[in-house]
Amino acid sequence: MEVNPPKQEHLLALKVMRLTKPTLFTNIPVTCEEKDLPGDLFNQLMRDDPSTVHGAEILMLGEMLTLPQNFGNIFLGETFSSYISVHNDSNQVVKDILVKADLQTSSQRLNLSASNAAVAELKPDCCIDDVIHHEVKEIGTHILVCAVSYTTQGGEKMYFRKFFKFQVLKPLDVKTKFYNAESDLSSVTDEVFLEAQIQNITTSPMFMEKVSLEPSIMYNVTELNSVNQAGECVSTFGSRAYLQPMDTRQYLYCLKPKKEFAEKAGIIKGVTVIGKLDIVWKTNLGERGRLQTSQLQRMAPGYGDVRLSLEAIPDTVNLEEPFHITCKITNCSERTMDLVLEMCNTNSIHWCGISGRQLGKLHPSSSLCLALTLLSSVQGLQVCSLFNDFKCIGANL
Amino acid sequence: MENAKDSDHSMTKESPPAQAGAESITKQAPPEEQGQLLYHEETIDLGGDEFGSEENETVSEDSNNFADKLNEHMMESVLISDSPNNSEDDVGDLGCLQEVVEPIEGNTDHRLDSNTTEKEEMDVLSNNSETDGDDTPRDVSDMTPDSRASLKEDSTREEVEGTSTLGNAGAEELMPGGESADPEEQGSDLSSSQSSSRDEPVPVCTIFSQSNSAPSQPHLFLHDGFESQMVKSPSFSSASETSAKTPPQVVQPSPSLSKFFGDTINTNSLASDFFDSFTTSTFISVSNPNAGSSVPEKLSSLTAPLGEESPDSADPSYSAGMARSESGVSSASLEIPESPKPFSQIQTVFAGSDDPFATALSMSEMDRRNDAWIPSQGTRGVLISVATQQGSTVFVDKENLTMPGLKFDNIQGDAVKDLMLCFLGEKAAAKRQVLNASSVEQSFLGLKQLISCRNWRAAVDLCGRLLTAHGQGYGKSGLPTSHTADSLQLWFVRLALLVKLGLFQNAEVEFEPFRNLDQPDLYYEYYPHVYPGRRGSMVPFSMRILHAELQQYLGNPQESLDRLHRVKTVCSKILANLEQGLAEDGGPSSVTPESRQASIQLWRSRLGRVLYSMANCLLLMKDYVLAVDAYRAVIRYYPEQEPQLLSGIGRILLQIGDIKTAEKHVFSQYGWEQTAGSACLCMSVLLQANNNAAVCLLYLGKLKDSLRQLEAMVQQDPKHYLHESVLFNLTTMYELESSRSMQKKQSLLEAVAGKEGDSFNTQCLKLA
Repeated sequence: MEVNPPKQEHLLALKVMRLTKPTLFTNIPVTCEEKDLPGDLFNQLMRDDPSTVHGAEILMLGEMLTLPQNFGNIFLGETFSSYISVHNDSNQVVKDILVKADLQTSSQRLNLSASNAAVAELKPDCCIDDVIHHEVKEIGTHILVCAVSYTTQGGEKMYFRKFFKFQVLKPLDVKTKFYNAESDLSSVTDEVFLEAQIQNITTSPMFMEKVSLEPSIMYNVTELNSVNQAGECVSTFGSRAYLQPMDTRQYLYCLKPKKEFAEKAGIIKGVTVIGKLDIVWKTNLGERGRLQTSQLQRMAPGYGDVRLSLEAIPDTVNLEEPFHITCKITNCSERTMDLVLEMCNTNSIHWCGISGRQLGKLHPSSSLCLALTLLSSVQGLQVCSLFNDFKCIGANL
Repeated sequence: MENAKDSDHSMTKESPPAQAGAESITKQAPPEEQGQLLYHEETIDLGGDEFGSEENETVSEDSNNFADKLNEHMMESVLISDSPNNSEDDVGDLGCLQEVVEPIEGNTDHRLDSNTTEKEEMDVLSNNSETDGDDTPRDVSDMTPDSRASLKEDSTREEVEGTSTLGNAGAEELMPGGESADPEEQGSDLSSSQSSSRDEPVPVCTIFSQSNSAPSQPHLFLHDGFESQMVKSPSFSSASETSAKTPPQVVQPSPSLSKFFGDTINTNSLASDFFDSFTTSTFISVSNPNAGSSVPEKLSSLTAPLGEESPDSADPSYSAGMARSESGVSSASLEIPESPKPFSQIQTVFAGSDDPFATALSMSEMDRRNDAWIPSQGTRGVLISVATQQGSTVFVDKENLTMPGLKFDNIQGDAVKDLMLCFLGEKAAAKRQVLNASSVEQSFLGLKQLISCRNWRAAVDLCGRLLTAHGQGYGKSGLPTSHTADSLQLWFVRLALLVKLGLFQNAEVEFEPFRNLDQPDLYYEYYPHVYPGRRGSMVPFSMRILHAELQQYLGNPQESLDRLHRVKTVCSKILANLEQGLAEDGGPSSVTPESRQASIQLWRSRLGRVLYSMANCLLLMKDYVLAVDAYRAVIRYYPEQEPQLLSGIGRILLQIGDIKTAEKHVFSQYGWEQTAGSACLCMSVLLQANNNAAVCLLYLGKLKDSLRQLEAMVQQDPKHYLHESVLFNLTTMYELESSRSMQKKQSLLEAVAGKEGDSFNTQCLKLA
């Protein structure tokens, strides 16, 4: 490697160190018993070692903090902290020093310096220190650009920059799945269950401090991740409050449409915004990270243009005895409907009333309650076929 | 540079997929640049080694070895100077860049935008600087999509020029590459490379020992079966012989001394048994003064005749046999007043087959308590047959014998001195005086001296010499030998020191012949004539712990746990036996209630020790939930350590990030106070030691204050604070502080040289 035109030596030196959280020093306990050859010697050595825990020397995890040993990993949602030190290596006083730290991401450039004012002078062997913090909000390559400009004693203006490139990785893998609680009988609730699988894809354990669902305006949410045991809320994850690397945890939430929306349950359809997951975790010595998912969207089950739901039906009915049910018909389309009711009997279920009667006009998003009478001629459960017989014919106006 | 490049190549191979972008950039570079580019890609790419380094971190955390984590903490960068001198380079860069531009633009849509913003920014900056009119255009070129490539190049020159940053930056840049290239090498650091270089003569020696053993081997096999049965008449004459060689005895005579002498004296004619006949030096084996009960032993005579053994006396046929005279009785000592025992009693050895009264007589309470162990079924069978077939031979398969030998003969070396030679010159290095294996008494005493003044390498060496004198020296592995309580103690010390030195592989190799520490020849019962009436295992309990723990440092924590569980099972069984009124090994007991109580206490504390190791192992495995449970279990056995253990649990939780629960644990210890500093909310909990305060100061941006605090601490109490963790922090801060950290590190080296022994881990000075 040839040396090209000699470069001017700078009077100032710029040093940058990422301030990951320190680690605790661990030692290697080697003990012996009184009767062994070294006698108390090994134990004494451990007692004399300042990195051991006084009185419990065998405890591997000491109390001594050591500075970060490498750059480590940085994950989305964590805070990037870095020490920036500009040291005057020369023996002359340097003037008008301006240190600027910018972070260049793939989409923007941020200024991270605490102050943008120039320092009037820096004596030999003195430092300008700055600790910068930045919550990382983008994945991918980041470049920390540190620029130093200063004036020498001779009045010469000097300038240099240093670049530090690092990758920001994704810490979590989040998968969600919706379950519609809407069975034939639950149209009253319109509940939606959200199952979220959160996987730790970092290489260190992660303490999940908070995983909550922030519902959209239409829903109320109940977290189903703890159980009430003898008056105490116990997490369903037990004492294992943390997530090992590559471990996945499932969170469950129940969403109920708010009253005003529940009334018009029919209008919750198509793609709806359910809310977003807010995840706060901590790792080594409280290093905090926080992520939010984008708005979770759910495709509401398609009801077609008309939605029919049962409002009331008796548990059991006597054979060959008429009974009443109440149905609710909702117009889920954008248009007004003209409804005709046709009733078709099966072998077991017989309708009482007139088939082919007009139900009148139904406007978009409005609904209609219908009391109907029918009887069963066969014993047993007769659910499946019931509404096949009930035809609701929509006609466009 | 050459090395750096090499390692760099391997580094690139290891680079994770995340790097793909960066790598493709590199590929676009003209061939002749490739080396440099690769190199610098790594250098600036702080995130580049994330996976690799994470692995390293785990390993190194485990091994507690700084070696592989040293040089990565500083963000390394590339220096760009806008001086006009660069224009030539830049032309070159431009060419290179143009090649680079396209693929990158193709790669990321964002790139272009970002670069434009960057350009603008840079223009402003360079205008400010006004050093060079040409700046603006060149800046633009610099900042074209992969300015990094050109930047890298620049920095190469920067380094080559040997500016003030060269010392540090250069070194640091070199290391990460080399490091991830060969993490294993790092683990065992300097010393291992030393030892490996010393291993070089291995083949030669092996050949030697093979040729030596080849003729004798058949003999040995033949005699294998006879081992425990051969009885030699004692020859006491040697005692007077040896007394001439005996140095003034410093150690108080203790029963175990006589025990040792019992052995050596009796075997005078069997020199080959214990002492390598090729050893010419005169070793004086002094027995372990801690080994026995506190009752002084009248019989004790002192030294072992070592150097006097003529080579002729090395009769291989004898080396197979364990021949001991009955006078070895003296080993059986002696809380019992009637210590001189009639020899006739000694015949009976094994539980069940003998008169318990006689056994009680011939076995010291303390020995019984300490040595008790429950052998595996197979081993038990062999021991019973040894005990019952008095007159005849018991054939023991060679497979079931323990045949250790040194695997490397010298790991001596003084890394501190080497560094001094390198940085401070010969004159300074000459002042560095540490004890070595030859400069102390060739005995247990000398050994302890070496250990206590932290010359563990020398101590390992001395253990080796003493073992050589026992016939278990270099190249003796796999050859039949016999064991004594003392030879096993020597092995324990040697292996323990190797572990302390972090030379885990070496320890593993030498531990191997001991297998599960359960072979019959590791039990006293195997040598009824040497240790008449004595029962139990010669293997020190601490050696079992060490044996189990070693695996976790070698990256097999599961194996460690398995071994610890085996030890735990035996401990629990022994405790159960004791609680049922039986002897430790389940035999009928004639033990007094007080003695039983003492035994229960001992075994409870041993069980606690095993649990402690399990907890440590689980911690290394990062199974924090189980580790916390295990530490809680330890509290039951060591209630006096409850506060420390609870705060230890607190620290574990803190490590996971479970601050709330950690608080609960640490509350009792420290009292919680919230600091204003955002950087170290949780660290205030641990803000106990000055060191920790200094670390916190750094996080608050007070480098100079932090340095002052650490320096003051080291100056005030160098004995304690010249510790690798403190020095590591200190050197890290020096590096952060100035480009001239070298001088300061060297003065630390001088301080270390005056205080520390050869076991000092020089890695923490980050001089290399």
